[in-house]
Amino acid sequence: MSTKFSGVWGTFEYLDDTTEAIEELRKKGVEPTVLSPCPRHEIDHALGEPQSPVPFISLFFGALGCLIGYSLPAWTASDWVLPVGGKPIVAIAPFTVIGFEMTILHAAIFTLLGLTILIIIDSLKNPIPKAAQEYLRFQRDRFGIVVRCEASQYTLYEDLLKKYQAEEVYVEKG
Amino acid sequence: MASTTIGGTVTETSSNRPFREEIDEHKGHPGIRATTFNYARINDDMVEMLEKPHPSYFLLVLGFLSALLLGAVSLAIQVDVGIGNSGISHPIAWGFYITDFVFWIGIGHAGTLISAVFYLTRAPWRTAIYRSAEAMTVFAVMTAGLFPLLHTGRPWLAYWLIPYPNERYLWVNFKSPLAWDVFAVTTYMSVSIMFFLLGLVPDMAIMRDEAKRRGKMLQAKIYAIFAMSWRGTNHQWVHFMRGYLIFAALATPLVFSVHSIVSWDFAMASIPGWHTTIFAPYFVAGAIFSGLAMVMTVLIPVRVVFRLEDYISYHVVNKVCQVILFTSMIVGYAYATEFFIAWYSGSPYERAVFYFRPFGHMATWSLTGDQPVSFPLLAFYLMVFCNVIAPIPLWRKKVRNNLVAVWIICGLINVGMWFERFNIVGSSLQRDFHPYNWGEYWPTLVEVGITIGSFGFFFMLFSLFVKALPPMAIMELKEAAEPPMRKEHHEH
Repeated sequence: MSTKFSGVWGTFEYLDDTTEAIEELRKKGVEPTVLSPCPRHEIDHALGEPQSPVPFISLFFGALGCLIGYSLPAWTASDWVLPVGGKPIVAIAPFTVIGFEMTILHAAIFTLLGLTILIIIDSLKNPIPKAAQEYLRFQRDRFGIVVRCEASQYTLYEDLLKKYQAEEVYVEKG
Repeated sequence: MASTTIGGTVTETSSNRPFREEIDEHKGHPGIRATTFNYARINDDMVEMLEKPHPSYFLLVLGFLSALLLGAVSLAIQVDVGIGNSGISHPIAWGFYITDFVFWIGIGHAGTLISAVFYLTRAPWRTAIYRSAEAMTVFAVMTAGLFPLLHTGRPWLAYWLIPYPNERYLWVNFKSPLAWDVFAVTTYMSVSIMFFLLGLVPDMAIMRDEAKRRGKMLQAKIYAIFAMSWRGTNHQWVHFMRGYLIFAALATPLVFSVHSIVSWDFAMASIPGWHTTIFAPYFVAGAIFSGLAMVMTVLIPVRVVFRLEDYISYHVVNKVCQVILFTSMIVGYAYATEFFIAWYSGSPYERAVFYFRPFGHMATWSLTGDQPVSFPLLAFYLMVFCNVIAPIPLWRKKVRNNLVAVWIICGLINVGMWFERFNIVGSSLQRDFHPYNWGEYWPTLVEVGITIGSFGFFFMLFSLFVKALPPMAIMELKEAAEPPMRKEHHEH
């Protein structure tokens, strides 16, 4: 994967300008990367409500944790049999506590790992120019749109971002 | 509008723009003025909180450090001499340490309640206080976790609590509530820490860029480590927000399960006063009650010192007080139910314990030398006064809007809840089935020292937190605020 970025990026003061520009870009078949100081559902809506596979990761590893949570006590109880008051050796009710805790623990750990890996993969797939990374106001009060494109399309997207009142537009020649 | 064609770096052209803009009072959440602020102002206010502290801050930390030192010395003595150096002896096997454990676990509950449960229920007033409450959870559970280890008498063998393969083929007894506790508390601590750190990532990126903007490069480098290359792209937000929601959903049952499992340490035993089905909801309500009181105890001074009236508004204080009031009623109801069930069960042992708690002369602890005072008796009446009677004034809005009154009431609740834990732990063990097996419990100075040390540990960690990390979730404050719109924004 080439690390050179080729495209156009711009900064916006207003959220509605940003979402309108995103919608226009998507009509042209471009999937831009959007930077924002906080999550906004207006941006998600303009981007077509993107979904994350994180819940599936949580579900799978939660189920795995549940299995471990029940089978570990069952196996250890069978490995060293300790009869107490005639109660069953493999007792489901008390093992439910361990099953529950292991479900939550596994789901939480792998949700964190999963979302971290997904973020890394998406960041590699959708790189943003170094200059945009170092633009300090995206964490403060500005929105940003990054469009990856060929040199022949620079003017087209530069004009489009300007049309929607971009404060600053930069062209990155990869 | 600037249009620049560059091949390499970008020249910052926006540093001269004004960062503080006019506030429109008609926007945002009606009870929290900070939600009318623009994004830049929220950043500035939070950065301002982390500026170089006043000398009095160091004095405060020194005070907490002294308490921690006292605890550390007491701990060293305890570990060196052994558990015999405490007041714990047959038949009172659980004393101050288990009381402290249950108390601190309870304190931790408010953080998860505010950060997870109120997140799922979309309570807007949580935004300004949840980060601090979450930090409190982490610190309280860390504090709590020390006590069972200490209580074992040989904390260096604590790994025996974990089911690891060993040459003796011995495993922990998974049917024991004590083994459940190990899993419950470690899971709670792990999930709380992960949830806390996950929420911090976007804020660390904000702090990184704000530090860079202000030319503080060392700070920026430190924040950058925790920000983990966060840039705020839509790809990052989509996974982050979904993950955060799942974490909230996972942490929510933990709020109810952890203290239920802690309560089963008692309820699974056949001791009179412990063996009751009401314990799980009773403990959970008490935990939320005490945790929220601690949140107010800590955040009211923070509000005053950092002048956070726009963030921790009267509206927020009011809402927390309402939950405190609600849980106070549950706790009061549970106290009454315990007595009713003891009478209704017809069990003489149950009846005896519940007679002894308010009226019995179960142990004498001379406070003045000539006036013997029953320590559990003191615990019982303090518990009832602080947890049931003291919160009653909170019914009045005037009291809820008086920060000094709220702070005093919440302080009393903290005291009352500690004594409630002692009342449960200590009194039942002193009077079980057979008079031959009755005993008394007096805490030793070492136990008192370690208890004071635990408060020093907790408050010191919290004091360091408020000056090292953003004590409010900047990202969520911005999300709650009205976004900058060129046209009229009708949706909120």
